[in-house]
Amino acid sequence: MTVMQSGGSRGPSPTGLADVIETILDKGLVIDAYVRVSLVGIEVLTIDARVVIASVDTYLRFAEAVNRLDISQEKQGLPGLVGEMQESGARHKTKGMLDGATDKLREFANGERERQGARRGRREVD
Amino acid sequence: MASESDRAPAAAAGRWTDMSASTREKSGPDAGQQTGVYVYGIVPGDVQLHSGVRGVGDPPGEVRLMHSGNLAALVSEVDITNPLGTPEDLQAHQEILDAVVSEAPVLPFRFGGALATEEAVVEDLLEPNHDEFAAALRQLEGCAEYIVRGRYVEEAILDEILSGNSRAARLRDRIRGADPDATRELRIQLGEIVNNTVVDKREKDTRSLLAEMKDHCAASVPRTATNEMDAAYVAFLIEDDKAGEFERVIQDLSDRWQGRVELTVRGPMAPYDFVGTLQDA
Repeated sequence: MTVMQSGGSRGPSPTGLADVIETILDKGLVIDAYVRVSLVGIEVLTIDARVVIASVDTYLRFAEAVNRLDISQEKQGLPGLVGEMQESGARHKTKGMLDGATDKLREFANGERERQGARRGRREVD
Repeated sequence: MASESDRAPAAAAGRWTDMSASTREKSGPDAGQQTGVYVYGIVPGDVQLHSGVRGVGDPPGEVRLMHSGNLAALVSEVDITNPLGTPEDLQAHQEILDAVVSEAPVLPFRFGGALATEEAVVEDLLEPNHDEFAAALRQLEGCAEYIVRGRYVEEAILDEILSGNSRAARLRDRIRGADPDATRELRIQLGEIVNNTVVDKREKDTRSLLAEMKDHCAASVPRTATNEMDAAYVAFLIEDDKAGEFERVIQDLSDRWQGRVELTVRGPMAPYDFVGTLQDA
């Protein structure tokens, strides 16, 4: 399934905060340190969740997911609802670290901001 | 795959930040300073801004333009003694930039950059880098960034891995129903195979995505995976008149990967991935 999420002024989009973080804290031009002023709080905003550092924990989680896979296949004969609940539960548990860490933040972020726009002078018609 | 030349708009970007050090004395922050001028990005000088656009900070400063030559910086006043970085601040930064990109090219700045004074914005940022900024804006004219992210459907990808790797399948059989403590080593082995296979598949699927998009984008930059189930994570620079074409390519790929990878697209956004990453570290 493709979800086209529009950004910019083409329509409102409560984007996940994780996506915002991965973009504006990690990409874009940076003002030179010599002319920049320090802003309180900025230094702690670093992306430390640069995943996917595979570890024993990761491996065990994957093994557990394989195990759950077997279980859910064995139970395919059960009424649909039970199977579905099990599946969705499993998926949530194996969500990535960054997702997990930012879920809470995202709750706060999803309040839609007022749309903000800019347009170009020479293209305006009055 | 994206070649270096694909990233032409970004090529010079890393140098921009190093150019203004010599002008520091003119406008360094005063001791005890309370406010700074937060910078969102650079736009062509003919851009006009609606009034009342709220920026970062609490209370948020109003976003305005500071002009120099053919350029303007999107700025707002910010209290530098107040911590910045709430979810609202982060979203304001991105939304202000993304709102511009459908109307005009923009060079987006990373979150958290401010100068001491309005004069510093002009003298230390816009003037010393004027020609490079202007050239980059010309290159980005009529383009926007879109981020394509694929996530593996867990059950499907695990099935695929187990049916393609007999060693993993044997490990699975030995672990099944056994005492978890007794099979810890085996579970680690199985998990490592799964992990390594996902990494391989991610590389391959990312290459497929890039190959599909090769003739439909102006540039592309793969991003580092940030989720174990990432199948592909790539930023594309798309010309406005190719947006429909791009959507069709992604939809076709999405259909082909149905049930295996879920694709999402975000955009149009300001070209964060195409202005170079800044090395001031």
